Amino acid sequence: MTPAGRASRAGSVRPAPQAALLAGGLLLLAVVAVLSTGVGARPVPPAEVVRALVDFQGTDDHVIVRNVRAPRALLAVAVGAALAVAGALIQTLARNPLAEPGILGVTAGAGFAVTVGSALGLAAGQAGQLGFAIAGSVCAALLVAAIGRTSPLRLVLAGVALTAVLSGVALGMRLMLPDVFDVYRFWSVGSLAAREQAPLALPLAAIGACLLGALLLSRSLDALTLGESVAHTLGAGVTRVRTATLVLITVLTGAATAVAGPILFIGLVVPHLVRRAAAGSALWLLLHAMVLGPVLLLLADIGSRVLLPTGEVPVAIVTAFLGGPVLIRSVRRHGEGSL
Amino acid sequence: MSVRRSSGLIGALALALALTGCGSSGNAADPAGRAGAENRTRVFAADNGKITIPAAPKRVVATGYAVPALIEAGAPLVGISTWKRGEPMMGKEALAAYNKLPKVAGEQATETNYEAVAAAEPDLIVIGVPAPVLGDIDVKRLESIAPVVAIGPTVPSAWRDLSRRQADAAGALKQFDTVQAAYEAKAAELAKKYKDALAPLKFGHVGSYGEAAKGTFQREFSGSWGTNVAENIGASYYGQVKKPGPGSKGVSEYPSLEELPASLGAADAVTYSVKADGSLPESVKYVMESELWKNLPAVKAGKAFPIRHTEAATYGQAVQTLEAIDTAFAPLLKQ
Repeated sequence: MTPAGRASRAGSVRPAPQAALLAGGLLLLAVVAVLSTGVGARPVPPAEVVRALVDFQGTDDHVIVRNVRAPRALLAVAVGAALAVAGALIQTLARNPLAEPGILGVTAGAGFAVTVGSALGLAAGQAGQLGFAIAGSVCAALLVAAIGRTSPLRLVLAGVALTAVLSGVALGMRLMLPDVFDVYRFWSVGSLAAREQAPLALPLAAIGACLLGALLLSRSLDALTLGESVAHTLGAGVTRVRTATLVLITVLTGAATAVAGPILFIGLVVPHLVRRAAAGSALWLLLHAMVLGPVLLLLADIGSRVLLPTGEVPVAIVTAFLGGPVLIRSVRRHGEGSL
Repeated sequence: MSVRRSSGLIGALALALALTGCGSSGNAADPAGRAGAENRTRVFAADNGKITIPAAPKRVVATGYAVPALIEAGAPLVGISTWKRGEPMMGKEALAAYNKLPKVAGEQATETNYEAVAAAEPDLIVIGVPAPVLGDIDVKRLESIAPVVAIGPTVPSAWRDLSRRQADAAGALKQFDTVQAAYEAKAAELAKKYKDALAPLKFGHVGSYGEAAKGTFQREFSGSWGTNVAENIGASYYGQVKKPGPGSKGVSEYPSLEELPASLGAADAVTYSVKADGSLPESVKYVMESELWKNLPAVKAGKAFPIRHTEAATYGQAVQTLEAIDTAFAPLLKQ
């Protein structure tokens, strides 16, 4: 599609159907969230789920819903939204439908930092791992941004190169240090289990602020999707928008990875699923991604609890199974995407 | 020559020969005689079959669970694997011996240094790893160095028999028996002390091998690491594994934290494993910081007891466990 065509399509987005679609998505999200708080190792009836939330009596069922599953569902919503929006942003920025948040080296940076922290004996607990993961994400993103700030292609190449280097060094360390491998192996498979006691307030607040920031940036992103020269003509500050977008992607991906470990495919798949509905509008693309990302992650999380009779499967494995076929479809259709 | 003279000559010769023979068997300067004594062998039944080993080994290499057992039994060790998990439970002398001995293998069976084992010139190698882990070791290569006996753990409580067999193979039963007797005397003393307090209670145990990152905890039943020493003084652990497996899977399981009320709700008292310094392992801390733990009847009744040294795998270490249990259970005597 030509820039003019996209501009025309973006300008023709009708708010009413989009709002109805978004409302439907929010309703679906609410249903899935209630379902998510009822399913688990100890089944809790839906009525008891609601009672636990509105009339807490302190029974074991109520404690499970309020103290274990509700925080987990909230985490799934935040992480799902963060990864989906980060995916939409990186695909828009790189103008590449196969781009995903981890491509900027953020995930590898978090993993490398957790490995180093474990080797130093400082990242044993959840709080320690959280701190190292955030620090690693930020450092990696800063390095990639510094190297690749001049063009989207250079940015992606810098991210891929840094990911390879950090992953290789971290793997070497883990192979040489069995204790480090032991700590890392749980973190490395993204999961939403047992995060209810972790200090999540700061990462979740950061995700919330970045989601808001992404919405505020949507108009400038619309201009950027038309190409740099057109964006300049329309008065958009290309460098400023690109820098702000990079910061948002970094914080969203870094915070999500820090609290839940690496969860791939949500950032890749969700923008593809909502792009047609968004009809070329960055604002609606981001809004729909914010709703569908959590829905997918909550569904994957429910699946992670019920798929095996012996215990939970890490949610990242379920999202990989869901995302794999979509990735293959995307590769087969590459060139038909309209970014 | 008279018959009498001839007889005297023969008798003198026989006496001289006899004296020469006795002298050579007791003469330290004669290597042939000593070699005869040292080369005595016996057939020993191990996990890897019936192995011919020296009756009195002089240079023993030990790995895995055999390390603390043979250090404690005073076996003639010339090389060991590292055994970090047992370091906090080793006494001063045992720790000094452990630190001094050459390390020929790491914590994992795959970290065996075959060159270092050969360099130690052992006349016996005692492998104390579980049978499934034996596959990670090149036993044939070790057998080319010295006879190899594999005596690995099955269920956790089997450490008693296991450590005895390891000490027996290494020819170090005398000191082993002394330490065992001390343990049994201490256990009998505590059993008498806590008889009335423990008799009416049903216990449950939270072990330290749960995985907080997966949201699970370790429930240990009778015969497990966290329970077997306490059972020796009369604590009774109820329940059994839902889906038993081989080895420790027959006496412990890993339910979700959400199953804590169902798993331990019927317990009158709960014990839980702590580190040697008394601090909480990450997995136990995760359980204890949950509201579900605070809701347990045993916890509400103030009957939750920390136990140190639950990894004890020798009688000497288990004496420390008994002392830790005595300290933890002391409040029960006041109730």
